[in-house]
This record gives sequence, C-alpha cells and structure tokens, in this order.
Amino acid sequence: MTKAYSRAVTALFCAFLGGMLLWSLLLPDRAHSDVENRTLAQWPAFSWEALTSGKFTDGVEDYLADQFPLRDGWTGLKARMEQAIGKTEFHGVYLCGDTLISKVETPDETLAEKNLGYVSALADKTDLPVYLGLIPSAAEIWSDKLPAGAESWDQRAYLQAAGQTNLPQINFFGALSAHADEDIFYRTDHHWTTRGAYYGYTAVMDALGRGDAILPESDFSRETVSDSFQGTLYSSSGIHTLRPDTMEFWAPDTGLTVTSWRSGSAAEESLYDRNYLDKKDKYSAFLGGNQPLCVIKNENIPDGGKLLVVRDSYSDSLAPFLAQSFSEVHLLDLRYYHASAAQYAEENGIDAIAVIYSVPNFVTDQNVVFLGQ
Amino acid sequence: MVFSSLTFLFGFLPLTLAVYFLTPLKWRNLTLLIVSLLFYGWGEPVYILIMFASIAIDYVHGLLVEKHRHDDKKARWFVVQSVIFNLLLLGFFKYWDFFAVNLSLIPGVNLPVLGLGLPIGISFFTFQTMSYTIDVYRQDAPAQRNIVTFGTFVTMFPQLIAGPIVKYKTVAAELDHREHTTENFALGARRFCVGLAKKVLLANSIGSLWDSALAAQSAGTLTVLGGWLGLIAFTFQIYFDFSGYSDMAIGLGRIFGFTFDENFNYPYLAASVSDFWRRWHISLTSWFREYLYIPLGGNRGGVGKTLRNIFIVWLCTGFWHGASWNYLLWGLYFAVLLVLEKYVLSNVLKKLPRMVKHLYTLFAVVVGWGLFAMEDLRQCGSYLATCFGGGNGWSGSDFYTLKSYGVLLVILVVASTTLGKSLWQRLPERPQKIAAPVLMALALVVCTAYLVDGSYNPFLYFRF
Repeated sequence: MTKAYSRAVTALFCAFLGGMLLWSLLLPDRAHSDVENRTLAQWPAFSWEALTSGKFTDGVEDYLADQFPLRDGWTGLKARMEQAIGKTEFHGVYLCGDTLISKVETPDETLAEKNLGYVSALADKTDLPVYLGLIPSAAEIWSDKLPAGAESWDQRAYLQAAGQTNLPQINFFGALSAHADEDIFYRTDHHWTTRGAYYGYTAVMDALGRGDAILPESDFSRETVSDSFQGTLYSSSGIHTLRPDTMEFWAPDTGLTVTSWRSGSAAEESLYDRNYLDKKDKYSAFLGGNQPLCVIKNENIPDGGKLLVVRDSYSDSLAPFLAQSFSEVHLLDLRYYHASAAQYAEENGIDAIAVIYSVPNFVTDQNVVFLGQ
Repeated sequence: MVFSSLTFLFGFLPLTLAVYFLTPLKWRNLTLLIVSLLFYGWGEPVYILIMFASIAIDYVHGLLVEKHRHDDKKARWFVVQSVIFNLLLLGFFKYWDFFAVNLSLIPGVNLPVLGLGLPIGISFFTFQTMSYTIDVYRQDAPAQRNIVTFGTFVTMFPQLIAGPIVKYKTVAAELDHREHTTENFALGARRFCVGLAKKVLLANSIGSLWDSALAAQSAGTLTVLGGWLGLIAFTFQIYFDFSGYSDMAIGLGRIFGFTFDENFNYPYLAASVSDFWRRWHISLTSWFREYLYIPLGGNRGGVGKTLRNIFIVWLCTGFWHGASWNYLLWGLYFAVLLVLEKYVLSNVLKKLPRMVKHLYTLFAVVVGWGLFAMEDLRQCGSYLATCFGGGNGWSGSDFYTLKSYGVLLVILVVASTTLGKSLWQRLPERPQKIAAPVLMALALVVCTAYLVDGSYNPFLYFRF
C-alpha cells in the first residue's frame, strides 16, 4: 500500500464514522416519529444512581438509536436488501406482490379461550342480546395471496371455536370472503377499507335480523379523500416502495350528532376528522381516532334502535355505516373504558350489544376481561 | 458495549480514535487504558472494580515472580497464587450458581443461588492475565513494571469482551513500542469492516432461521428437514458471529498498532475433527495446549496419561464456554471424537476420499453445535431426536424457509470457503485497489442500515 492510498482508505473510514456522529449531533432532536407512531428517546438525565445502575448508559444508547439521522431511510434500505435476497417476510409482515399482509402469530391459547368466556359472561349478566362479531384479518381472507408455505395462525379454526359458544355470531368471515377479490383491506395497513367495512355492516345487519333494511351500495356517494395513505404495515415492514393506498368516505356526515368522550368530558365532533388526512396516521380520520366512548345519534330514524358496540379500531370505519341504520350507536373501547358494559347498556336504554373485534386483536387483548363485570 | 452497535460505531469509536491519535505517543497507553475502562464500564459500571482488582493483583504477582526468580519454589508459589485468584474470580462470577444448584441436590447441602450478572469478558481477561504470570515465570516475557502499561494489556477494549485471547508474550513488545502507521490504520479499518459485515449481515441474518427452528420445536411442529436447517443455521451463525468479532478485534488492534494472532482459519474446511480444532478459536485451543495440556504432560506419558490429559483439557474447554451441563457434554463429545481419531480412525481416515472426510467432519461439528446451542438438556435431546427421524420429514413451511434463506445460505457456504479470498487475490492490482474502498463503504452503509433497522421499533398496536 502506498502512503497516499492508505491515507485515502483511512480517511474514508473516519469520514463515515465521524461524519455520521457529527450529523447526529447537529441534527435537532425529534420528539416523535410519525412513521413509528411513538415518542422518541431524549438525552437521559444524569445522576450517580442512574450511572451505577446502568440506566444512564442504556438511555444514551436509546437516544443515539432513536435520534439517528435518516432512520426511515435506513430501514427502507434494509428491506430492499432483504427483498433482493429473496425474503418475503419483513418484521412479521408478508410482502405479497403489491400487498402487505400482517402475519398472525400463534396467540396465548388460554387468553384466547378466556376472552370468549368473558363475552359469554357479559351475555349472562344482561337480558339484552349479545352478538359476537370477530373479523378475520387479511392473512385469513387473502390467505391465497400469502407466499407459498408462509405461516400464519389459523383464524378460521378460532372462528369455529367462537361458534361453539351459545352467542349469536356476526358472520364477517362469510361477508368478507364473498368479496375477497375486491379491495376490502388496505394494501399498506392492517385495517379493512371503507368497502370492507361496508360488507361488515351488511353482516351486522343480517345478524341482527335486519337484512331487508340494509342500505345498498348505490345509496352512498363515494368520496376519495386521500390517495397517499401509507399505513401501519408500510411502517412496520420497512417496505416503502409500494403504491400508497386510496382512502374513501362513503357515508354522509349530515344529520348526525357525534359526541366523543376523549378526556372525561363530552365534546361535539363529527364522523370524520379531516385534519388527519394531512398526517401520517390517516386512518384516524374515521371518528378522530381512539377514545373511550363515542355516541352517534341519527334523528332521522327515531325508531332505528340503539346499538352498543364494544370494539377495537376496525369499528372506526364501520360506525359511519351503522349510524345510517340505527338511531343511536354507542362505541365503547375497553382499553380506555373499564366500567361495566352491562350497566352502561342498562342506563342508556340499549337494545342490543355487539362485541366486534378483529381476530388478531381479540385473541391478544388483555382488556376483554372487563366485559365480565 | 458491543462493536456491532450504533453507540460503538458512531459514538465511542470515532471519539476514541480522535482522542487516541491526538494524544502524544508517550501517553497513548494511558489513553487506551481510560477508554477501555469506559468501554468496559458502559454496560455494568460497578464491575470496573473487578477490573481494578484484577490489574492490581496480577501486576503485583508478576513483579513478585520476577523478584523471586532465583528461588523457584517461591516463584512457583506466586504463579499458583495468581492462577488461584483468577480461577476464583472466574469461578465465583461464572460458576457459583451452577455449583450451588447442582450441589444442593445432595441432601444436607444447601447453597444459595446468587443470580449475579456475568461480568462481560471475564472468561477472556482472566485467561489473559493468567498467561501473564506464567509467561513471566517461564521467562517468555519480562515482568511489566509500568502499571498503566499492564492495565492497558488487561483492559485493551478491542479484544476485551470476546477475544481473541491475547497471550502476554505476543504483545509484550508492542505494549512498550509500537508503530502507528497509516498503512496499519487502513488495513485495520478494512479488516474491521469485513468483521462487521460478517457479524451484522451474515450471522445476525441467519440467526433468525435458528430462532424459528427453536420456536417450531417448542410449538411441536419441528420436522426432520426443519431441524437440520436450524442446526446448519446455528453452525453458520456461531462461526460468522465469532470470527466476525475476532476480525473486528484484530482490525481494531492493528489500528492501534497491535498485532494479534489469527483466531480462525476456515474451520468448516477441516478434513477431520482434530483439524477442525486447529482452525477454530485458535487462541483458546492454543491457550489450553500451552498452559494446561503440556504442563499436564501432554502425550508423553503413555496412552493412559494422554487419554486422561485429553479428557481433562476438553472438559475444561467445554466448561469454559458456559456453566451448564450441555457444555460439559459438548467438551466430552469432542474428547471422544479426538481420541477415536487419534487411536482408531486415523488409518481409516487417511484412506477415505477428501469429500467423505469433509462430510464426516461437518456432520460431527454440526451435531456438536446441537449440543452446544441448547442449555436445557431435555430440549436438546428432543431437538436432536427430531433431527434423527423422530418427526415428520418436512412441511410446507420448510420450503418457505428454504426459499427465504436460500440465497443467504449459498452466500454463507461460499463465505466459509477460501473461494472469495482466492478470487480476490487473482484480481489485478488496480481493480483491487478500487474495489477495496468501494466494498468497505458499501459494508459500512449496509451494516448501518441493518443496525438502525434493529433499533427500529414501531409502536403500531397503540391503535390496534
């Protein structure tokens, strides 16, 4: 090696390491990552206790990793490399052509079984009819799109186990698989699309014996509100090369009163919060995202009945349809609402209770236990 | 702190290099000592105290051995003291719980399990400091009078936590006088990049295949094919992990002007198990040979004594790897194979075609990794039973695994052979000169992507 050449190689090495260090020092710290949907670590507070326990140094490592320049770019590069050597699974997400499908891991069997029991316990507690609606995820409905041999937990077997309970079922599996060739799930997000939610709505109406009152698709004026939706699977897989999803609103927002309890007190809101359409988390445009309790009243149909839905986020896009057929839809999220659902139903003159969850959420959610009280 | 982390690559290393090369020559050992202590204390700050104790005690013993050079009995006694101290240190932190659990099985014995965290690198640095007093006693190296220099030897961060085990005599001269040239820096940096790529891109990637085989085993869905794929994955993982780490250590050492011995020599090309052990973790095998096997008498005391020595050395080698029965079993397994090769198979092996010898060796080594990889003997037994026919032949998901990891496996096979090296050497000088920095830059960029991705932790189920 000549001296000049050695110098060049040395310079390259030092420039990369030192350059990235300088860059990350000069880059202003970010408080939050939209793509990862979490707050990022900040420089840890120093104390002798934190130092000797190792907490301080751990904090520094988290800080450096979280504030690393171009985080999302690096993850994208990794995903591309993996794709190049034939991988089709990225952080628990399968790349299936132009679609991302979340792998469903085998859940804790006792929890999965117990959660069914809690719904039955609710049915025992109340005189109202309690319907169980479990929404199979894309990994089940679109299982033929998965790479050959790729594993995903058998949701159908679980739906059959759910059918063994005495609870009347909402047949989401039937409604969705009948339309499996349509865009019923987002390609970059784990939720169902507005179209998927519409088929979900028909399943709810059928189960409640109101099949003849189902509003036909032609009654809705479809509005494309975004064609740049990059959802949760885009984030977790690191696959950033797919065409973004299109998001639609179908049901009209008129003639409804939407009351949200986000922080204990009631606030008048609407079916859609269009502010979210300019953000990363566009799915939250439906009902404005997470909240313990939301009540939608439709004065145009005073005798439409009152439905209580115990639910996860799939119901954010289902609720606009339900609101067109019920005089009141009460949406209760057990992650934030821990009081008795049976008592709530009684106090609010509810006619029927539907427990509606996507299967992967239902079998892993620790909060279903609150139904039994 | 590990080398393959963002904190090391983009924090510790550039800062250390800057400080080290700005320090005047005279003070560079002190700088290296201080940064090494910081490196060591990063994960477990309290354990720096062990480091101080180890430096002080072995430093004093080295001087004592030299002082009593002419009174062999006394000199020996100080060597023994230092060895006992190091073994007690290692024994207490690494093996206490193992003995407590197993001895408490005897009625009437009840030892408490302490659950102490293992100080990083303790197996390596205790072995290095033992070599110091022994080398001084054997007059292979003079005692180190400067405690800073001695401290630098004990704590030197490039090889502190995962070897290679550097014998004192190898670096004694360089500790006092070493050359810092840009050529050494460039070659060291290049070697570091090779090691980083082996660890981050190869070892970590194939590691997930081994993890999924283990998961399949605990779910009861492991097949024969899946079992072997898992073992092969672990075989590659441990080699590229460990040899990558050694490469990084050797490269970093070179940047700071040290020449460490090679630790691996294409072990999976070995033609017999004894050949394998001449190529795998060379610094450990040679340590045991030099400081245990030969002092015990080696193979010079007849068949009986040789057998005894082989079994002692290999049980120790196994136990050195971890405080658990499976490591002892693993050591025993190799002792048996080595004895068989020495006394029974040597004539048979000579006559066999090369290919058969390689296959036999690989088979023995892969099965050995099976013993090594699973500390829970029951799990280990049932995993290996599946591999040897106690399960379904294959399943659809095995083919998915093969498709997902096929390219990587081919890369790993090629990277385990000398093919890459000989192709590289056949390259004319000019293209070589251009390709080397390009590949280095590429390795750094891609490794960074993999490391950042490893810290990438989307919190998506916040909203289901």
